This record gives sequence, C-alpha cells and structure tokens, in this order.
Amino acid sequence: MGVDKPRTSLPLFDEGGRSYEHPLYDKLLSMPGLSVGVAPLDRLLTWGLTNSLWVFPMATSCCGIELMAAAASRVDLDRMGTFYRGTPRQGDVMVVAGTITVKMAPRVKRLWEQMPEPKWAIAMGSCAISGDFYRDLYPVVPGIDTFLPVDVYIPGCPPNPESLMAGLLELAAKIRSEQGKPLTAPVQKTGGLVATKPSIARIGDPERDPSLSDQQMEAASRAAESPVARPAEELEMPPVPETAPGTVAAPPTFAPELVELFQAHGVVDFPKDAPPVVPLARHVALARALVERGYKQLVYVVASHWLAGKGRSGNVAGGPEHHEVAYGLRTVGPKRGAEGGSKLAWWSVRVEAGGAAPTLAHVIAGADWQEREQWDLVGVRFSGHPDLRRLMMPDDWSGHPLRKDYPADAHTAPWR
Amino acid sequence: MSALLRGFVYGLLVVNAVLLTSAVNIWFERKFSARMQSRVGPTRVGPLGLLQPFADVAKLMSKEDTVPASGNRVLFTAAPLLATVCALAAAAVVPFTPDVVAADLDVGVLWVLAVGSITTIAIFMAGWASNNKFALLGGMRSIAQAVSYEVPLVLSAMVPVVLSGTMSLSGIVTWQSEHLWIAAWPLIPGLPAFVIFFLAMTAEANRIPFDIPEAESELVAGVTTEYSGMKFALFYVGEYAHTLVGSAIASALFLGGWSGPMAATMPWLGLVYMVVKTLFLFFMITWVRWSLVRFRSDQLLAICWKWLVPISVGLVLVAALWVELVPGVH
Repeated sequence: MGVDKPRTSLPLFDEGGRSYEHPLYDKLLSMPGLSVGVAPLDRLLTWGLTNSLWVFPMATSCCGIELMAAAASRVDLDRMGTFYRGTPRQGDVMVVAGTITVKMAPRVKRLWEQMPEPKWAIAMGSCAISGDFYRDLYPVVPGIDTFLPVDVYIPGCPPNPESLMAGLLELAAKIRSEQGKPLTAPVQKTGGLVATKPSIARIGDPERDPSLSDQQMEAASRAAESPVARPAEELEMPPVPETAPGTVAAPPTFAPELVELFQAHGVVDFPKDAPPVVPLARHVALARALVERGYKQLVYVVASHWLAGKGRSGNVAGGPEHHEVAYGLRTVGPKRGAEGGSKLAWWSVRVEAGGAAPTLAHVIAGADWQEREQWDLVGVRFSGHPDLRRLMMPDDWSGHPLRKDYPADAHTAPWR
Repeated sequence: MSALLRGFVYGLLVVNAVLLTSAVNIWFERKFSARMQSRVGPTRVGPLGLLQPFADVAKLMSKEDTVPASGNRVLFTAAPLLATVCALAAAAVVPFTPDVVAADLDVGVLWVLAVGSITTIAIFMAGWASNNKFALLGGMRSIAQAVSYEVPLVLSAMVPVVLSGTMSLSGIVTWQSEHLWIAAWPLIPGLPAFVIFFLAMTAEANRIPFDIPEAESELVAGVTTEYSGMKFALFYVGEYAHTLVGSAIASALFLGGWSGPMAATMPWLGLVYMVVKTLFLFFMITWVRWSLVRFRSDQLLAICWKWLVPISVGLVLVAALWVELVPGVH
C-alpha cells in the first residue's frame, strides 16, 4: 500500500535522538559530566518505546476484526514487537477501532486514563476518526478526538491490517521525532467530552486521490460536518397503503386453534399482514392463556410511535397520538415430527398518549428487558413493570430517541 | 575459598545466568509461538529479533509506575519482588556441575519445595493488594491450584529422595551418576514420578494448561491486571525464571543433572549436560503451552486429586519397597 512517508526500516538507534524534558532528567543533564551518561540512556528508552508498542485494543466493531487479523499470520504485528494486552495498565497505545457511542465514550476515556504514561492513541477507521456515516445519529460520538488526544489517524472502512501496521510505524516515527516534549506528556485533563487539539499524522489511504493535500482533505471533511436542518416532513412516516379491513382469515403462521382464543379475548379483526389488536384490558389474560398452551418463548416486543392523524393501516389508522406495541410468542418443542415445528402467536396493543401498557414481565420473565428497551427507545410506558430503567441509552439521557417527535438532527443531541 | 565468598560468587553467577536465560527464553517463546501459528515473531529488533525482550524492558522501565488508589501499596510493591526472589532463591541449590553449586544444602529438596511455594503467596499478595476483582479472583484460583498441586509435587519429589537416601540435590545427582537416571532406572516409580513432578511443576509456575490464575479470556490479565511498568516486568520475568528453575530441578531430580558420559572426567561437560536437559524441559513446557488449551478450574482440581495424588502416594510406596527389596540401591 502507498504510504505518504514510507518507513520500511526501523533503525536500531535513531540518530536524530530525542531530548526529554523531565525535572530529574534536566537536573542530571545540567550536572557536569553526567550528560555523557544520560544521553545514551535517553536513546535507549526511545529505542525501547518505539520497538515495544503494546496495544491496548479498544475494539467495538468491525475494525476490531482487522485489528485481530493484524496480529495473525499474514501481517504479524509481533514482528515489530507489538502485541495486545487486555489490561490498560500494560498498554502503550490505545487503538480505538470502531464506532464509539455516547454511552461508551466515558468508559473509553476512563480506560485511557487508566493507562500509564507515556501513552498514545490511534483512531482506527472512519468511525473512530469522524463517526463516518453514523456521525449524525443521536448516540454516536463524531470522532474520538472529541475526548481523546489522538496521535495517528488510520483511514479506511475498515483499514486493512497493513494500514494498521503503517499507522504503528508512523507512531514510532512520531515518538522518535518528538523533540523537546516531556517524557511524560501531561494529559489534557478535560471535564466531560471536551475537544482537545490533537497532533495529526495522517497516513496514506489507498483510495485517496493523490492530488489532494491534507488541508483539502480536512476542508472536505469539515464541509461534510456542517449541520443541515431537516425538513419537518421527514419526521413523519409516509402513508401506508390501506388494506381491506375485516379479513377474518388468519395469516398462515397463525395457528388456526388460536383464532377462537383470540376472539374470546376481544379480537374482532385478523388483518392479513399485521398482528391483530387486542384490547388493553384483555392483554395480560391473553398472554397467560397462550403460555398455558405452550407458547412460552417471547420472540419480540416491538413498539412504534405514531403522531396524531397517523397510524398503522386497518382499524387503528388515524386518531390521536399513540404507541402500538406488538408481541410475538412461540411454542418451544422438537423441530420435527407430528408435534414438531414452531408455531407463532402475535398480537399488538394500542397505548394512547399518556397511557401505559400492562407489563408482561410477571407472565414471561423475558419481557422484562425487552420492555425496558422499548420504554428507553420509543417511550412507551409499562405499568407494573418491576424495574423500568433505561437499558440502551445512558442513564442521564433525556427523551426517547425513536419517538417520531424526537429531534432527528443529532447536533441538537443533549451532549453535543 | 571460604564458603561465604564461594556462595556469593556462584550466587551472583547463577542469578545473572537465570535472568539472562529467562530473557532469551522470552524471545524463544515468542519466536516459537509465532512458528506454531504460522507467523514469524519478532524480527526487527536486533538479529532475529533477539533484542526484543531488552527493548520491552527498556520500554517498561520508562513507563509510569501505577499503584491502585484503594490498593495496599506495601503488598502491591512487595509481591513482584517476592515472586522473582523466590524463583531465584530456589536456584541456589541447583547443582550445575559437581562443584558449581551456590549452596549445597543437605535439605536441598526441602528448600526448593518450600521456597517455590512462597511464589503462590506472592501471587495472592498481588491479587489482594490490587483491590481489583479480576486480580483477586486470579489470586484465589492460584491458592486453590497451589494447595492442590503442592501435594503431588512433594510426593513425586520424595521418590528420588527415597531411592537415593539423601535430600541434597547434589547427592541425588551423584547417586544417579553411580546408578542411572531416576526417570529411567527404577522405571516404575521413576518415570511416572517424573511425569507427575513435571505436571505439578508446570502448575506451580502457572503455565498453560494450568494457568487459570491469569486466564486472559476470563480475568483480563489475572493477578497482573493492575501491574504496569517494571513491576509487571518482574512478574513476567519471574514466571519465566520460575519455569526455568523448575526445569533445572526436575532435570537434577530425575534426569541425572550433570551426569552423563565422560562427565566424571570433564566437569565442563557436566555443565553442558545440565543446561541441555534444563532447556529441553523448558522447551517441552513451551511446546505444551502452545499446543494445548487451558483446563477449567474443576478439571484442574479433578486431575490433581483424583489422579496425581493417589498415583504419587503409590509411587512413594513402590520406591520404598524398591529400596528394601533390590540390593545395592543405597
């Protein structure tokens, strides 16, 4: 691959040298005669630092696969003395490989602070550099240099293992060239997610247009960052084509013997391609009856939010703002044979704005976390739930991001 | 030469030799593991990457020395020192040739077993002082493992002691030079006792497949989770020194130590024999490490208590019977 400044060899001792500004070190240097002994020691330490960069892998997504591949047969980072340590105490380089979410970022920062000095950070891949195409999403941090002092950026989606190796060589070159910086660079103690100004050493990207300079690349990426307000229409869903109501025929996956049970629990309508709507008052009783009949596995709890005047096709279309919560239960048994095969029962309930759906957590234990997730993301309430806390979003998050009226422009997200 | 001066000189030699060999063994293991995984291992630092461990140490020396705020600073600092010092102290009684012994104790075997097991206390100290759940779990596993594997270790070491009638390592090697290697001659207590000693010693040194105290997949880095810089380096080197000294003791107890053809007339040849046997055992441990997977805790304890302990008790009885029934053993 093409590297801007190809560094194919790591000299045993860098002749350029590096002078650490360290209180004790400075005193030693100022003493007559001692500097003769300290300069080789300085070189020895730099030699050790550049040839033994142990990586603390902060791999959150697909870049982590390339990070693993870089340690395997073809590339073998161990050639240059790099291997991975699972504890931040023994890492020299934190390689952030993957998208960092708002909930993850404080943990990453904390792990970074647990690493002993001297330490470096590498942003591996587009998501770690800028958030890439997730950058406008509500939970995504637009680049880890918003809270970490990044030393080397490795572009790519994901960068291949050779790119990671080139990045580590670039970092070694940077360590060698750091003249006049103290040995233990003070960390910029930032409160919360505050941007630090990192020193940028970009390495070559095979896809990159060679005619573009670094500054032009920067400008292009900055231009892509500017927030664009979304038109209000986009906040609402396009209308769903209506299907003919009143079709009693249940969908093929719907076990025929359940039709009677559902009708006994107040279901009047079985749409072809949507779950039948059960009155809120009969909802828990229906779930209990289904569990007794062997529908014991909770497949999903899915909620959707509808603004006033909108709604799913069929008998709930239109009307006031509401949530619709769909449930799926499945039989558990042998895969084959007369009694084999899994049967699915599905239904949904309609929760008016300000109302709440009775929880199923006491009927099926698996509903506990699924309902927490739906409350967290979509904002539908579950009455009687034993532990209705946030599950996906940070504890101090405000709002429910999958509600239709949630500001979709991520630049208004509370933490930005 | 007075005994004190002699002990000092040989001790200095032995300690430096063990530490240097441990460093080279770290390089060897990285190269070896790389070849096992179709990689090449360190190549950039020095010829064949031989200076890689020294680059690591130079790096670790320049790292910040962190102590957990809620940990016990004294124990945290003492643990890596104790681990390394105990591994090196056991080397004092290892006979390299008939003359090169730092301290030829009458109770050499007892010394080795006693000092070697203090390493476990050092590991638990590290786990406790870190005030870290992973480190503490690693330390507790280490205790469970050591309590179990001490028993077959001691019992299998009793076989050479019973056969040769002495607890001095030099005496045991001399007995083997007059008869045969203990692993070879009384084949029935000798060879199984060697295998059991080898397994238990591997477990004592926390090497795969017995390395549950630092199982990376479950415990981050086990007892060393909170260790950085030179303290970690001491643990790292201490583990290799422990393995190396354990290999040396196993070869002295069971493989004849410095004894071999022509060794009686040329003492330097005895040193070569000893080093070759020790490094061969170390190589075996490395080979096992990169071929096998880790045991679960329950499997580890089951192997010890259901197999190694009963068998080694039987072996000590067989050795005693051998001494009684076969003429000319003592």
